[in-house]
Amino acid sequence: MSSLQHVLVVEDNDEDFETVMEAAQRTGIFNQIRRATSGSAGLRMLRECLKTHDTLPALVLLDLNTPGDDGRYVLGEIKKDEMLRNIPTVVLSTSASPRDVDFCYAGHANAYHVKPVNHATHLKIVQEIFSYWLSCALLPPPQALEKQ
Amino acid sequence: VGKLSLGHLPANKGGFTNQQTHPDKPMNKLPPDTQDTALLHWADGPYSIKRHGTSLSNCDSEPVKTPGCIQAHGAMLVLRLADLTILQASDNTAEFFGEPPASLLGQSVTRLISEAQQARLCNMLLHDALERNVLYAFTLPERNGVAALDVCVHTIDGVAILEFEATGRLTPHENRDFFALVKSAVSRLQTAGGLREFCDLVAKEVHGITALDRVMIYRFHADHHGEVFAESKRDGLTSWLGLHYPAEDIPQPAREIFKKLWIRPLQNAAGPLVEMLPLANPDTGKPLEMTHCALRGASVMYTEYLANMGVAASLVMPILVDGELWGLIVCHQYTPTYFPYQLRAACELMAQVVSLQLKSTEYIEQMAYRNQMENVHQQLIAKASQDGNLLALSDGQPTLFDAMQAGGAALYHRRRWWCAGRTPTNAQLDALAEWLNQRPEFDSSTRPVYATDALARDYPAGADFAAVASGVLAVRVSRLRQDLIMWFRPETMQTINWAGEPQDKVTGAGVHGARLTPRASFELFVESVRQRALPWSAIEVDSALRLRLLVMELVVSRAEHLAELNTDLAASNEELDAFAYVASHDLKEPLRGIHRYAHQMIESAQALDPENHKRVESLMRLTLRMDSLLDSLLHFSRVGRTNLEFAAVDLNEILADALEMVGVRAGENTCAILLARPLPVALCNEVRLREVFTNLISNALKYSRQARPRIDIGYLAPDEPDPRPNAPPEAGGQTIYYVRDNGIGIEQRHFEQIFRMFKRLHGRDEFGGGVGAGLGVVKKVVSLHGGDIWLESTLDVGSTFYFTLPCGKETQP
Repeated sequence: MSSLQHVLVVEDNDEDFETVMEAAQRTGIFNQIRRATSGSAGLRMLRECLKTHDTLPALVLLDLNTPGDDGRYVLGEIKKDEMLRNIPTVVLSTSASPRDVDFCYAGHANAYHVKPVNHATHLKIVQEIFSYWLSCALLPPPQALEKQ
Repeated sequence: VGKLSLGHLPANKGGFTNQQTHPDKPMNKLPPDTQDTALLHWADGPYSIKRHGTSLSNCDSEPVKTPGCIQAHGAMLVLRLADLTILQASDNTAEFFGEPPASLLGQSVTRLISEAQQARLCNMLLHDALERNVLYAFTLPERNGVAALDVCVHTIDGVAILEFEATGRLTPHENRDFFALVKSAVSRLQTAGGLREFCDLVAKEVHGITALDRVMIYRFHADHHGEVFAESKRDGLTSWLGLHYPAEDIPQPAREIFKKLWIRPLQNAAGPLVEMLPLANPDTGKPLEMTHCALRGASVMYTEYLANMGVAASLVMPILVDGELWGLIVCHQYTPTYFPYQLRAACELMAQVVSLQLKSTEYIEQMAYRNQMENVHQQLIAKASQDGNLLALSDGQPTLFDAMQAGGAALYHRRRWWCAGRTPTNAQLDALAEWLNQRPEFDSSTRPVYATDALARDYPAGADFAAVASGVLAVRVSRLRQDLIMWFRPETMQTINWAGEPQDKVTGAGVHGARLTPRASFELFVESVRQRALPWSAIEVDSALRLRLLVMELVVSRAEHLAELNTDLAASNEELDAFAYVASHDLKEPLRGIHRYAHQMIESAQALDPENHKRVESLMRLTLRMDSLLDSLLHFSRVGRTNLEFAAVDLNEILADALEMVGVRAGENTCAILLARPLPVALCNEVRLREVFTNLISNALKYSRQARPRIDIGYLAPDEPDPRPNAPPEAGGQTIYYVRDNGIGIEQRHFEQIFRMFKRLHGRDEFGGGVGAGLGVVKKVVSLHGGDIWLESTLDVGSTFYFTLPCGKETQP
């Protein structure tokens, strides 16, 4: 089912996005990965899906410190929108600040992960995110979204 | 010295008067045990030294103003003022006038003096202020083998007293120009600098004028005990300079007499006495008051005291400042002598000049002392204002202790004592402060000060430290925090010159035994100043109060300044927060990229030669190291900015958690953790304090070459005597915690730097590596608790880290 849906990655940093791609490849997921390089671009893409009755993403990977509207804003917009709030939104951030972690969970983020400097660890984390959310967890059915 | 007094009033004057006015009611009808033996003996009539003197049992019962006797070298007539009839005459008139008292009593005085002299006398009685004021009247010329007699007169209570003395004709002073002597002495006195120099000079000048064996300036202290303040004497006599005597030696009645007379001569203390006939005034039935008479028979106690010292003659002049007895000029001669009228007049003049000038000398000296205190206090406040705390009061140069003449000083500030000089112990200070804070004196709005010269009287526990602090002067400088400033004065016994104990040989005690000797006086004095200190002067109390105001002003302005700073600090804290956040994010992002590429190079390029392979590996290691440095920096800045909340926590639990975090498990044999006794409960921040223990223990484990490192953890309570090496003064009165290892040790020159952030003493990979942040964080946490951290260490033996946790909320903005 998830193979029908894409994954939205809001990430301005090319290297980090490459790590996501590498992880996706290593995990062996087949979902299409779409990238937004800013918060506002990410929101635009989500709203475009609603407008065109396109399938919504199965998962959003959200970097907190993106240019323009940052990850916090994007998270807020997703979670206050009845149409979007069911999409699992996983925050990936450089920051381990308790303040950020708190903020995101309070804003109904579905998970919070720190991007480590160690590349191997970084890869492993993103791989595990993919295999958990796309293979283990049972996600809300995409039809429900289409009916709206 | 010693019995300088002229004698003393009877303790029970009423009883005495009663005895005189009802001579027919003998006291011996009372049961023997209620009878006043001193009164009983002259129940047969008015007191006379000759009849009753040796039966006296104590000084207080001696009627010194009405001794009934005069010194035998002169004669005395008492005349009714109304008609100049002779009412009383000394029992030696035959010797002087050729007629016994019996033939003189009831006669007019004109029988003995010429018409001219009578006219002179009447003129004086009419026009001069003679009441209680002795003036020279005339000289009776030599006749019938009797030397010329100087006649002095004064009136008292309706009678005129005429004193006849053969003065000035039989002495070595004859032909001396006293006026010139006094004039030059007075001009020399003008040159004296301070009080002591002035008094030294007075003693020297009076010694020169009188040519007596010893001249002393005897100074009364506020508690009326006396001190030989200056002395000039003939060679060969033991100095009495610096000796102290009890107030009892010159009791209040005697001091009162000295406010009324300028001179008291006693030419021959052991000389014969002559009674007045009759002893009581026939008009009034009262004994004759002889306070002002030069011929007055001297107190039995006094003459006995002089005799016990071997002194034969004395001349005493008061020094009066503002009507109060400041001291006495006391002259002693070891052989009987004569004090001619002119000499006495010269000495009287000296005493008056000295009294006037001493006032200004003392005033100048007091002002100088006051200014000096003020000066030092201003310096202290300026320093404290600069430093932002009161520590300068006890830390720097000068200290509190330098301003006031005290044995020591203590400041209670920031919940601990800062001491200078000799003070009670911290525990004693704590108890004293607690007691002081209850004192009503501190509630006074005008003079909130406590001053005592006998602390143990108000505060019995003060007896334990009477030696250092019998005198206490205290002001509270903060009501809220109960900050106090105290000055201490040692027990007077501790400060007197013990080498100066009276050494002179006692020539054999008189009828009253050893009491009337300098030795016994000295012992009495020592007893009187037990647990007593020199009292605080008004100047000192005022100065303490002014310092209090200065400190309080400083605190107020400091608080305003702090409030401003706090606002600024809050703003800059937020900026710092943002900075640290951005720095970590923006620095880590590229770092992650670098690490990633390096990682990919190693993974993908099999062709990488071994050398380049190694380089790329280093690149990866370096990025990871930078990553952990950034993490530490973030953590450190977060610890510093957090406002810690404190709660009472069982340190044993914190320690158990910390041990678990560093991977020390019970039962494992990798190291030995020794706890001398369970740790106490302390007010602290649990999370941060766990970090302190974690860092200290993991350092102890890390920096060791022992197969099985040993770590001792424990604490020292404030009252425990164990040594506290390298402890800063701030740690006084605090519980000190320690973590001791038997590791590699640290050189003393590194004791400071190890607490610096990112400072490492060893190679990056030695002893398990690390970024060198642990002790920086530990120090920060400890200082957030208001505490200090320090260490003691010996290379290859081990280190001990000590820290305190006063939970100083005061250090928090």
